[in-house]
This record gives sequence, structure tokens and C-alpha cells, in this order.
Amino acid sequence: MLIITILVSLLLTYFTFTYIPKLPSLFSNFKGFFNTPGFSQRLVGFLWSFVLLDLPVFASVFFGSPAISSEIETRTAFYVFPLPIPRYILLLSKYFAAVSVTIAVIMVYLVVQGIVFYMVFNGILLLPFFLSMGLTILFIFSIVAVTFLVSTIFNKNTYAYISVFLLYFLIFNAYSIISEVLYKVVPYYLLNNSASIIERVYLNISTGFGSFTVTPDGAGYSDILTSLIIMLLYTIVSLAGALLLFERKEVK
Amino acid sequence: MPQIEITNLTKRYGKLEALSDFNLQIDQPQCVSILGPNGAGKTTLLKTLTNIIKPTSGSVTIDGISVSENPMLALQSVGTLIEQPEFYPYLTGREVIEFAARVKGANRAKIKEELDHLSNLLSMEEYLERKTGTYSRGMKQRVCLAVALVMEPMILILDEPTFGLDPRGMKEVRDLIINLKKERDIIILMSTHLISEAKEVSDRVIIVDRGKKIYDTANESNDNVVKVTLETPIDIKHVNMKLENVQLTFLNESTFLLKLLNGMDNSKAISQLLSLGYKVKWAEPYNDIEEKYLKSVSL
Repeated sequence: MLIITILVSLLLTYFTFTYIPKLPSLFSNFKGFFNTPGFSQRLVGFLWSFVLLDLPVFASVFFGSPAISSEIETRTAFYVFPLPIPRYILLLSKYFAAVSVTIAVIMVYLVVQGIVFYMVFNGILLLPFFLSMGLTILFIFSIVAVTFLVSTIFNKNTYAYISVFLLYFLIFNAYSIISEVLYKVVPYYLLNNSASIIERVYLNISTGFGSFTVTPDGAGYSDILTSLIIMLLYTIVSLAGALLLFERKEVK
Repeated sequence: MPQIEITNLTKRYGKLEALSDFNLQIDQPQCVSILGPNGAGKTTLLKTLTNIIKPTSGSVTIDGISVSENPMLALQSVGTLIEQPEFYPYLTGREVIEFAARVKGANRAKIKEELDHLSNLLSMEEYLERKTGTYSRGMKQRVCLAVALVMEPMILILDEPTFGLDPRGMKEVRDLIINLKKERDIIILMSTHLISEAKEVSDRVIIVDRGKKIYDTANESNDNVVKVTLETPIDIKHVNMKLENVQLTFLNESTFLLKLLNGMDNSKAISQLLSLGYKVKWAEPYNDIEEKYLKSVSL
């Protein structure tokens, strides 16, 4: 996971240094906006953050999915469960361990991003950068919580891995598309939609089904607050669900 | 004094009733063996006792504390070995035992003392520093036993403790159980497939089949049959023992059963043998567990 993160950050570093002067020709759709001060920088910030919508999902699935299911699959549950440790402590310890290691890996990317931005933009994007970083960390808390909820349901790692990917990349997206096409409503309450705030703090690009709107500024504070509350709710509800399920978990 | 009480315990997996209205009370230090064929419900019983599964109905209490309602407190002084557990492969045997000791409240000095004692007791010195991922089944079983024994529990729950061990290891574990019984006032509740093992180490044997308790030596009177072993074999065909109120059944040339009749007691029966010049090597109350097992357990 760390290698993938380093590779992606190196690729984007290369892209940033090589293609900044070519941005207007690469993104001809935004031609009118390039006269707006700071737009190029915001666009680069947006592109860097685009990766942060998926990278934490992969990292959390990698570190979080087997957390509970592997205890059953590898029979370590027979060692741990009869010990006098409350199960909620066991689950929360594993949760914070998974969150910490996911943050540590993603932090490598964010540090590279910070250095590149400092070198190229000389501190122009300081506020959106730190906003995006904070929201990424919150997103990690929520996606790891969802991952743990799924992991407590299954007794096999593979099912847990696949289910999180299906839920996040297929079911959420399918639901989004159906909602937008049939009811013309963007389901902002889905985790993937609220996580898009990580990139929208740089540039408020909305890519709804059949529609495409761009604001040359970052998302407003009300948008940020809404996404923050949704991610927080996902964290709390998923963790509560995981704790309830884990408390009743049996090893047959 | 440690105590285990299981009342009307039922455990269902869908339509399958793994345990059915099971009752068991152990209120004094002793070794109790649960004997039964595969799928009889032995492991399910031990799993409910250790909070690995929850009962469908009924209650399980350890020292008066409900295991399902307050597992942390109920299992504080319980050592367990259930279903040959695996350990995290990146931990050494020492770390595995250390973790168990730490969650049971041991400080650094106590952990060291426990590790030294257990590695010596279970002959694990050679491989304790190796990662458990490289262990053989027998090595893992010894570490499992060490985890169960750490911090001197008052109750030991052991699911087939000799599984995976070579004959020498099996004997060592049996001797360990016998010594623990002698040295400390603890309850040992173990499941086994081996009738000989149950007979050798247990004070009480319970036979389980299809989730039900079908035989318990605690409910049987052991007083009316005595198994006697003589120091020297005798010629069974020509022997003429004239014993009063005793019926003799020879098992082999040096062992026979004395069935005591008309209120005859053990010591008087043995005295009669001694007065006839027979040297008694061993005499014990007799329970034919094997016979009971084969008669009562379904095929």
C-alpha cells in the first residue's frame, strides 16, 4: 500500500512540474476560468485531491477489512475471545490501529503534495490544502468504520474485501446514478459524494449525471459542514453497528 | 471455592439443536471429563462456558457470575483452551503468553515469573523466542496450554488438551493435569475422545450425545463394585476364593471385580482377601465408562 502511495505521489509530482504550463490546452473546457487568479493552482490541487477519494478506500480495505473476519478465519478468535477483555475494547483498539496505519500511509502522499505545492505555489493554497487534509483524515475515520462494520458481518476475509469494494464503488455509484436520472436529486448523503469535498475545497466542480458545473472557487463552508457532518455520522453509525454485531459475534 | 453451574442450557444452530436442556453443576475442586463422539456437543458446551458462543436459552455461571452477561468478570480466573486456537504468526510464543498474562492483570515481574515457570513446566524453552507461525501443532498446543495456565486460574476449561501431541507429550499433559489437581484446589473441565484419558485423569466423567447428558458418574453409586489388582497373577481356572457377601468377576489373571452384596463394605471385602493370603496391589471403586459409553452413545 505504501509503495502504491509513493508511486502515485511521484506520478503526480512529475505531472505537476511538467504540465503546469500546458494546463489551459489540456483542460480546454475551463478555458474561460484560466484568467481567474489562482485557478491553475486550484485545478492542480483538485487533481492531486482526486486521488484522495480512492486511495484511502484501498488503504482502509487493506488494513481494516480483515480486522474482524480474519480472527474467525485464522482461528485466533479462540485465543483472544476467552481472554477477559471486553469486546468493545478489542474492536476499538483494532479500529484505531487501522485508522492510524491508514493515516500514516496517506500522510506520505499528503506530505509530498504539501512539499510540491510549497515549491510550486509558494503557499497560495495553504488554506484549501489544510482543509482538504483534515477532511481526508475524517474520511479515513469514516471509511475504516464502514470497513469494520462489513468485517464484523463476515467470517471470511475475501467476502469482507469484496463487499466493501462493491458497496463503495458499485452500489453507491449505481444508487447515485439512479437517483440523479430518475429523481434529479444528487444523493449528497452517500459517503462517496460527501467525500468529494476533499477535492471540492480547491475547485467546486459538480459532475452530476448529464450536468457539469464549475465554480472557480472552492466549495463554501456550508458544503464543507454538510460533508463533515455526513462523514461523522457514517463514522458513528458504522462503529456503533460494528460494536453491536461484534458483541454478539459467535465462532461456530 | 470455584464453581460452575449450567442450567437448562440450550444452543441451536438453525434447526440443529447442539445442546438440549443441559444441566451441570461442579461445586468442588475436581477434574471433570466430558466424553462423547464427534458432534455430541462437547465443544459447544465449552464454547458457551467461555463466551465464544451465546446460549439460545438457559444460563451459564462461573462463581455465580453469568458468562453471557458479564464475561469479563466471569472469565477473570478461568484458563481456556478451545478448539486448538491459532496465534498471530508474527508474535513469538513468549509474546503470546505475555499478552494473556497482561490482560489478566500481571505486572512485569509477575509476567517474567509466569513465563519462566510455564516454559519450564511445559518444556518450551527451546522455541519460546521463535515466531508462532513456524510452530508445529504440538508446539502450538503447548503454548495454548501455557496461555490457559497463565496466572494460576481457579478453573481450567480444556478442549481436547492432548490433541496433536506425541505419546510423550500426551503423557506429560495428563501428568500435568493430575498434578494440578493434587497441588491446587481447582476445577478442571475437559473434553476428550479418549476413554482411557478420561478414566486416568478425571474424578468425574460425563458422557454427552446429541447435545444431551446421558451419563454422569456423579449420579452413579460407585460403592458396590471394587476393582482389585493383585501383586502376583493367579491361576483363574483353579482359584477358589471363598469370600462372604462378595461376587467375583475376573478381568484378567491379576485383576478382578468385587461386587459387594448385602451391605458389605470395601474395607471388609479387602480384609477378607488379605486374610486369604492374597497381596493386593491396588483397589478402587469401579465404573465401567467404556461399557456405558458404548451402550449409551448412538452410532
